[in-house]
Formats: sequence, structure tokens, C-alpha cells
Amino acid sequence: MAGTSLRTYLVTRLALVVPMVLILLTLVFLLMRVAPGNPIEAALGGHVPVSAIKQIEHRLGFDKPLLTQYGNYLWDIMRGNFGRTITDNRPLSQIIAQNGAATLELTFFAMLVAVGVGVVVGLVAGRFRDTPLDVFGRLFGIVVYATPVFFLGLMAQLVFGVWLGWLPTSDQASPITQALLQTHTNIYFVDAIWDRNWPALWDVTKHLILPATTLGLATAGIFIRLIRVNVIRTLRDDYIEAARARGIVERRVVFRHAFKNALVPVITVVGLNLALLLGGAVLTETTFNWPGIGHELVLYLENRDYTAVQGIIVVFALVVVAVSVLVDFLNAYVDPRIRY
Amino acid sequence: MAVAAPSARTPYGRARLIALGRAVRPIREASGIARGMLWAGAAITLFFVVLGVFAPLISPYGFNQYRAGGVRFPQLAPPSAAHWMGTTVQSSDVMSRVIWGAQTELKVVVIALAMALTVGVPLGLVSGYFGGALDRALVLVMDALFAFPYLLIAIVIAFLLSSSSIGQGVLTAAIAITVAYVPLYFRVVRNHVISVREEPYVEAARALGARPRTIIRKYVFFNVVQNVPPIATLNAADAILLLAALGFLGYGIQPTQGAEWGYDINRAVSDAASGIWWTGLFPGLAIVLLVTGLTLLGEGLNETLNPVLRRRRFGRIEFEPLEPDEPA
Amino acid sequence: MVKRRFRWLAAGSALVALTAAAALTASAYGGGKAGSGIIIDGTTDTVVNIDPANEYDYGSFTVDLLIFQGLFGFPHGAKLEPVLATGCTHSKDLKTWTCQLRHGVKFSDGTPMTSADVKYSFDRVQKIKGDQGIWTLLTYLKSTTTKGPYTVVFHLSHPDSIWPYILSTNAGYVVEKSKFPANAIVPNTDVKDLVGTGPYVLSKYTPGQQAVFTPNKYYWGPKPKNSGVIINYFSKSSTMKLALQQGNLDMAFRTFTPTEITAMKKTKGLVVHSGPGVDIRYLVFNVKRPPFNNINVRRAIAYLIPRQDIATRVYHGTVKPLYSMVPKGLPGQIDAYKMLYGASPNLAKAKAAMKAAKVKIPLPITIWWTPSHYGDASADEYVEIQRALNASKLFKVTLKSAEWAQYSGALGKTYGAFQLGWFPDYPDADDYTVSFYQPNAFYNIGYNNKQMDKLILKERAAGNEKLRLKYLRAMQLLGAKTLPTIPYWQGTMIAVSRSNVNGIDSTLDAAYYMRFWLISKS
Repeated sequence: MAGTSLRTYLVTRLALVVPMVLILLTLVFLLMRVAPGNPIEAALGGHVPVSAIKQIEHRLGFDKPLLTQYGNYLWDIMRGNFGRTITDNRPLSQIIAQNGAATLELTFFAMLVAVGVGVVVGLVAGRFRDTPLDVFGRLFGIVVYATPVFFLGLMAQLVFGVWLGWLPTSDQASPITQALLQTHTNIYFVDAIWDRNWPALWDVTKHLILPATTLGLATAGIFIRLIRVNVIRTLRDDYIEAARARGIVERRVVFRHAFKNALVPVITVVGLNLALLLGGAVLTETTFNWPGIGHELVLYLENRDYTAVQGIIVVFALVVVAVSVLVDFLNAYVDPRIRY
Repeated sequence: MAVAAPSARTPYGRARLIALGRAVRPIREASGIARGMLWAGAAITLFFVVLGVFAPLISPYGFNQYRAGGVRFPQLAPPSAAHWMGTTVQSSDVMSRVIWGAQTELKVVVIALAMALTVGVPLGLVSGYFGGALDRALVLVMDALFAFPYLLIAIVIAFLLSSSSIGQGVLTAAIAITVAYVPLYFRVVRNHVISVREEPYVEAARALGARPRTIIRKYVFFNVVQNVPPIATLNAADAILLLAALGFLGYGIQPTQGAEWGYDINRAVSDAASGIWWTGLFPGLAIVLLVTGLTLLGEGLNETLNPVLRRRRFGRIEFEPLEPDEPA
Repeated sequence: MVKRRFRWLAAGSALVALTAAAALTASAYGGGKAGSGIIIDGTTDTVVNIDPANEYDYGSFTVDLLIFQGLFGFPHGAKLEPVLATGCTHSKDLKTWTCQLRHGVKFSDGTPMTSADVKYSFDRVQKIKGDQGIWTLLTYLKSTTTKGPYTVVFHLSHPDSIWPYILSTNAGYVVEKSKFPANAIVPNTDVKDLVGTGPYVLSKYTPGQQAVFTPNKYYWGPKPKNSGVIINYFSKSSTMKLALQQGNLDMAFRTFTPTEITAMKKTKGLVVHSGPGVDIRYLVFNVKRPPFNNINVRRAIAYLIPRQDIATRVYHGTVKPLYSMVPKGLPGQIDAYKMLYGASPNLAKAKAAMKAAKVKIPLPITIWWTPSHYGDASADEYVEIQRALNASKLFKVTLKSAEWAQYSGALGKTYGAFQLGWFPDYPDADDYTVSFYQPNAFYNIGYNNKQMDKLILKERAAGNEKLRLKYLRAMQLLGAKTLPTIPYWQGTMIAVSRSNVNGIDSTLDAAYYMRFWLISKS
């Protein structure tokens, strides 16, 4: 099938997205509806008379047959109407704009830390394979991976927040900063730069340090492992042998030839590990009270807010799918063998 | 090639033994670092397995015990001679909860992996071998789940099951983890089956008229299953983290049902804000240690079994003495 | 060559690290300095709806209290006083209430308030019938009419002696006609339309994170003692505690764990303020479901319930043992359960009750509770109850729990004995008795006592306060005798602040209002 055009590949790939998302949507819908208990009871049970609860449920359509509810749900989604949450009447689009931006801020900086740490340690470990440096690097990667992100967060809060008092341990920014910051993109870091509000930028950065470093470190393990394996593989390659045979200094061989090629799959790994990062983001956000979308999901799940949970999971799914399509596309662009 | 074919000279049972020996050879041939990792990981893992299995004997107190000999334990007491790791807000001994926690983790993870393997491997075998519409449908569903963060899948399942008649507990946590990992085993097995199914010896068997069931059983299964141990070990490490995460978010096991490290860390978060460190540090270290052990074990296995990374120890090669009339 | 490059790298990174460390330590204590005069409060409550026509939870109410007002309220302590009204008179049959409105009241956009706004507000609540259920408080309201710009008349379907209390809830908050649609809720982020007559204006709202209030320049009452309020929302009390300790918050109200409060009492720079509380915790029985349909089984539990242990061990003294469904501090309260069952657990009487019950001993029972809705200490609370009942050797208790979403729908329908908490709609003994003892009460426990029904009717139709209190006392005694519930603690109103914050003590009373306008910083 050599020679299939890139466009065909992209179209086919995108076409597969639809059934995938549909399956996830249906699964989430079924799961939420099938469970006993509903958000109205959650909000009002315990102080509102049962007759009133029943009236409200009827008005909101909770007693319609499951198939009808499913149909309405799909129809709404297709029109782009993700609805409003039941428990606090927020439009899903507002949640995505506000909390999604916070998660984006956190995961971006965490990814920077993860890639930074991962690349440096992985390169060193791979280059000096089987030496103490390598052993330490691999051990570091394993231990950091084995540390649950919430435990790391807890210890970080204890050390840097309670005992040393250097860094803030929760939220995106201090209350005054948050009250005064103008909202442009909802990403506080960007908004502070937009307004050239330097004290605010400093405040936001301080709040980012602990959560981003915690999440980044916890995810770095994957990168360390991957970069290391890649460096080992690359260093064995023929063209490296050739470079050595040509008499090029070892250091140059390593830096200029091997490392650059070893780093190529980083983008792929970033994309493939997005799922891991999003999962870790949920835990980090909960630990640091970071107002991200993962944290909201956990809170809405507790309150059985169908609309909110469905909407957020759909967003997650779309993001993961979009990134994986992008990664596949980039791979196909680079390596024609991969196209269907 | 994998299984030694039984023939007139090597009876069936002995052939199997030879195959097993061949499978284990890479481990015996492992060199330096890989070997170190393997044994270190095995030792740590074994330590926790012993802790878990013999918890009733090793642990000084029950996981929920709040008094001994009629005297109540102090609440939130720092580590002391009586309580080496201190006590919790419910007056339970932290060390006991760590030891019993090992049992809970093992219970849940073993059940979860067993279930995931039982579901994922056969599905992968069947789907990979027969292909067709079934394969395409399964791949679609599994891919959809696979791309999704494990934690979210597990949370949703645990949440639903905990509201059902099964209630919260070991089984719910195990099922939640199973569902998250079935796509992984499915994928690995299926991909391997697809590559094996085109091998000449499988084609030959088909040409000879062997039934699919026989082919899968005799040729494909063992071939494929070799890949599973390193993946399962690394997966076990992951599963422990997943279980702890579930416990941390409150979807795990309640303290009256058993001790679970993640849950204890959850309660420890409020303690930490008051400067109380022992309720969170010890369960956390337990998680780090156990997962490190399992990962070392898994990586060690991977390193020894994966031909790309494998480094054989070069033993001395003995040449047979040359006969005088044979050319050199 | 190699070494030189690395030397530069090392020096450079060391410099960066040093600068960063210096900057960090320098700014560690700089939080919260800017904007002094603004009170920054933290809370773990959540806001559902700010529009008063569809809110029924304390988190939303805290916001509404600052920007809206009703005809009656609790401006000074737990005494019901007219606020937007100057007074009300009622007909002999207590079914028609005529209220005079205060003159000169303006909304925060300068528009004067008239009786048309009041009528509109009540009509709106009843028309919208919001999913939060606050309209159920207006069940007896048939219609609202006006007589001129400063008189409003309420026509009720039943005699209702407590109607002024209803007027003090947010079901009766007055909104500006032109800003609020008649049959839809104003979204929370639409702050420009959330216009009321209260001391503050909501100037910015970030859902789940922050609500920012600035003083209302058209306010008819005394100026607030601060230049604004910021409420910060937290999902975990531990992060809130850290923020308070680090100076990012001036105060925090609702809700810390008992461990945290004990620790903060010893922390320098922080002050723990406490006052009478109005929330209660109680054990409920489905009186039709065995084995709890046996009154003697319920009596035995009433003799064994470890109130002191729960108050000291689990809550470190932040709650007080409670001997009536009505909390102490409200007029008409009597310690009915102490009178009937004693102040502390009584094993001998419990044994006698179980003997009279003629059931298997130890009796296996299941008690349900819910993990997060009432705070993490619920787990510890029920472990104490289990331990006490098991230690008596009369019971063998299995504890089961369910998350609130499922729990609140089940209650008496599914459970035989279960945990509940109660927070009043208005601080009066009526809300703590009628809500539980009326037939078809919200929790489905099958309680139906003819004598109690008669008492409720008499209380609601009582012509004067003395008579009403008499009936309330009788209801408490009858409730303790027939045991549909066993109350065991009453909360305290606790707020923690930094030592430079003044005025909190003046707002801690049985009305349970956090009157931010009385708080200042020195």
C-alpha cells in the first residue's frame, strides 16, 4: 500500500474518531443513569419533602424512559449544547473555559518539568550505561514513578508549606491577585503577562511551582526510561560506528549525532502519555486544591451530577483522541510506512 | 519457534520440560545490572508478600483495633516504643495498618490481574486469530478504553459498583482495576497473535487440517503467553498505584473493612496541615517500596527476556581439540 | 574543553538557584498585604445558585445574605426583627398577614424598592418552583397582593403562626423586578443582574473559586466596617487551614475538622471564636422496620448512646451533647431525652429494656452513615457508637455507608437505622420538631402519631408566643417518649481568624448568620 496519500490517511484516521467518541459517550451515559441515586436527591434529600423531589424530577425529565433520555442527550451534544450542570447550574462550556484552562496551565508546566528531568536523566543514564550514573538514574526514575503523586504532593506541602513556609500550597493565586486579575484566557500565567502585571505573575508562578513539579516528577519516570532505551539503541547504530571510525571525538558523537536522534520520539511519547498526565492531574489537583477540570470531575461525581460528568468525560475523550490523531498524523508525515 | 515438538525420541512430558528450561535460560544468563534488578525486585516483592500473607501473625494489632487489654490507644500519638509508627485519628496503630494494608493490596491486585488476564487474554487470542467483524468491533471498543486515563475509568466503575449491591470493598476495587487493564492485555495478546498467525508452521498446521482450537492451544498460546509475565509484573506495580489512588479519592476500601494505604494517606492530608507526619509518611513509603520492588522485578524480567536489550554474559568457549587429519 | 563548558553551566545554575531561594524567602510573608480593609474569608461550602429564588444550601445563603434582604431577619442576634418591613399585623385566624414596608430603601443600582418588587419576588419563587426546593417553604402562601407602594398583604391557606420566620428565609428575599426574569433563574456568572438591597454588591464571581463583594453605595443601613469581602472556596479544609496559617486568609468559617480546630487553638497568631450552634446530629429509626419497630429496642439504644465520648473523643469539645431535637439556646427548649433516659449511658436500664423487648441478645443490627456529606468525622462518630453498643454485649452492630447521592435518596425507604444532620430553615424550635414529627416527613420512616399531629396543628394556630412554646415543649417530650429519632450532639458556630481581625464574636449567635459587615481588620 505504499504511496497512499497523506490526505487519505488523515481522513480515515478522523473517521475512526467518531465511533470511538460515540462509544465513550454511550458508556458514560449508561453508567451514570444505571447507578441508583440521582442528583436531585443528592441536592435535596434530607430536608425537602419527597413529594417535592418527585415533582422536580418529573419536570427535569428524570423519569422519562432511558432511550428518550439517551436520544435527547445525543441530540444536544451534536448541536454543541453540553448543557448546564444540575447541582450548580453552570454551563459546561464555562467549566471547560475556566477549569480546563487551569488544567492546561498545570499540565503544560508539569510536562516541561517531566520532559526536562526525563531527558537529562535519560540521556545521562543511556550514555553511561551500566555505570553507577546509569544505575542511579534508572533507580531515580523507578522510585519517582513508584511514588504516588498525592503522596509526593503531601510531603511537598508538609516540607515546603508547613515546616519551611516558603511556597503556597494551594490554589492558582492568592485571593487578592485572583480578585484583581483580568480574565482574558483564564490561564492566569498568560493573563498576568497580557496585563504586564508583574507582581501577579510572580504570585501565579509561586503557586505553580509545587503542583507542577510534583506532577512533572511523577511523570518523568516514563521519559527517563524511554530516552535511555533510545539512546542505547541509537548508540549502537551503524552511523554512530561510522562517525567513530571517522575519528570524531566521542563527546561530539554523542551530543551531535546520537542525542538528537534519540529525542525524536519525545513528541510521540508526550502525546501517548497524555492519558497518564490527565489521570495524574486529577490527583494533583485534588491534593493542591488546584481548580482544574479533573478536580471538578471528582466533585461532580460525588454529587452524581450526570450532565457535568458526561460533559467533562466527553471533553477528556475528545482531547485524548485529538492528541492521538495529531501524533499519528505527525508520525505518518515523518514515516511513510505507517500510513494505511 | 517455541515449544519443542514431541517426537519419537523426546516424549511429550520431557519436551515440555526442555521448553521450560529454554524459557528460563535468559534469566540464568542475565548479566550484572539486569540480574541485580531482578533479584533486588524479587526480594522486595517477596518481603511484602510475606507481610501480606502472614499479616495476622506479624502485625502487633488488628487493622481496626483501638485498644488492648481494656486500655484505649492514644489518638494521633507520635511514634513511640508502644506504637513504632504512631497512631491514627481513630486510635488505630499505624504499623498494624501498614502491615494489614499489604494484605489488602495483594488481595486486590492479585484478584484484579487474574480477572484481567482471564478476560483479556482469551479475547485477544480469539480476536487476533479469527479477525473479521468481531475483531474490528472489539478493537474499536478496546482502543476507545485504552486511550482513556486508567484512573478515570477506574473511578467511574468503582463509583458505580459502590452504589450497587456489591457495595464498597475488595471486590469493587478489583473489578474497577480489571476494567481499566483489560484493554492492555487484549492489545498486547492480539498484536502478538497477529504476527504469529502468519508464521509458516501455523500455516502448515492449517493446511494439514488442524482445528483452530488445536492451533491456538498448541502453537499460538504458549508463544504469546511468554510476553505476559514482564507486562503483568509492571502492570501489578501500576495496579497498586491505581488502587492507592482510588483509596485516596475515597472510592476504595473503608477502614472497617480493611486497611488500605491510599485511604490512610487521604486521612493523613488533614493531619499534615497540623504538622502530624507519621500517619501519612509510613503508608506512603510502603507504596513507594512495594511498587519499586515490583518495577525492578518487571524491568529486570524485561531486560533479561527482551532480545533488544538483552546482554548475554559471555562464558568461556571451549573448542574441541582438533583431530590431526582435519583441516583447521 | 569539556570541563570549561561544565564550569560555566555549574556557576550559572548556582546563581539562578541562589536568586530564586532569596526571592522565595523574601516573599514568603508578603501575602495578603495589598488591599487591607478587605476581609478575605475561606470556606469549604459550595455555592449552588445565587439567585435567591432557587437556593437552599448554606453556601449559597452566605452569598445571598450579603447582597439581598427580606421583610424580616436577624440583624442583631437571634431575635427576629423587621428589616425591609417595619412591622406586620395578622388576622385572627392567622391566615392573612399585612406588612408595612420601610421607606427610602434603594437597590444597589439606585432604583427605589416598592411593594411591586416584593410581590414580584414571591410570585417568582412560586412560579419557577426551582429544583432546589426552596419554594416548599411557601407552601401555605396562596397569593400576594399589594395596597399602595408600601404595603404588602400575604394570603395563606393555613393558619401559620411562624409566617414571619418564613419571611426571614431567602424564599422571601426581595429582588429588583426589572433585573430578574419572572420564570427563569439568573445564572451565577451574571453578576450585573444579581441586584438586591443588601450592604454589598457582588462584583466578581468565579465559580468554585471566589466571590468578590464591594460595598453597596445606595445601602439604606449602617455602612459596613470594612471596604469589601472576598470569599475563597476550598474543597479540603486542610488546604484552607494552611492558607489561614500562611496569612493568605484573614478568617475561615465552615468547616474544619475537630483535629484541625484543636491544633489551631494552640497556633500563635490565630484565634478560634465559638458561639452557640444550631446544627444537630441525630440517629433515625424506621419505626416500622424490624427490629427497630420494637420500642424497647429503641429505648435500649437511647440508654446506651455515648454522647460524651463522641463530643470529647471525636469532636474534641467542638460539639455539645444534645438531649432534645431542639438545640439549646432556642426558646422553648427542654432536655427531654435527659429527663427520660439520663445524662450518661445507663447499662442497667438498657439491659432491662432489652429484656422487655424479648429479642435475641446480642441483637444483630445494621446502622448506616454517610462518609463525606457531614464531614470526615462521621466515620469516627459511628465507630464510637458501634463500640459503645457492642461493648454493652446487647447488640452486634454492622456499620454500612453510602455516598450522599445514594444515601439521601434511600433514607427510611431502605435503611432501618441511619445518621442524619439537620440545619434549620429558621432558628426556631418549630423547625426542629414539625419537620421531623409530621406525618409524611421527608425521611420516610413511617412515624404517624395522632397525638403529635394534634399538637402540631395547635402550635401552628397558637395565638400568642407563650401558648406556642407550651405546645413545642409537649412535642419534644412526646418525641423523646416515642423515639423516632435520638439526637446526640449540637454544633457550635466556629470561625477561626488571624489575631488582627475584630467583630467575629458579635456575629456568633443562634441565628447562624455570618454578618461580614460587622468585621474589620486592625
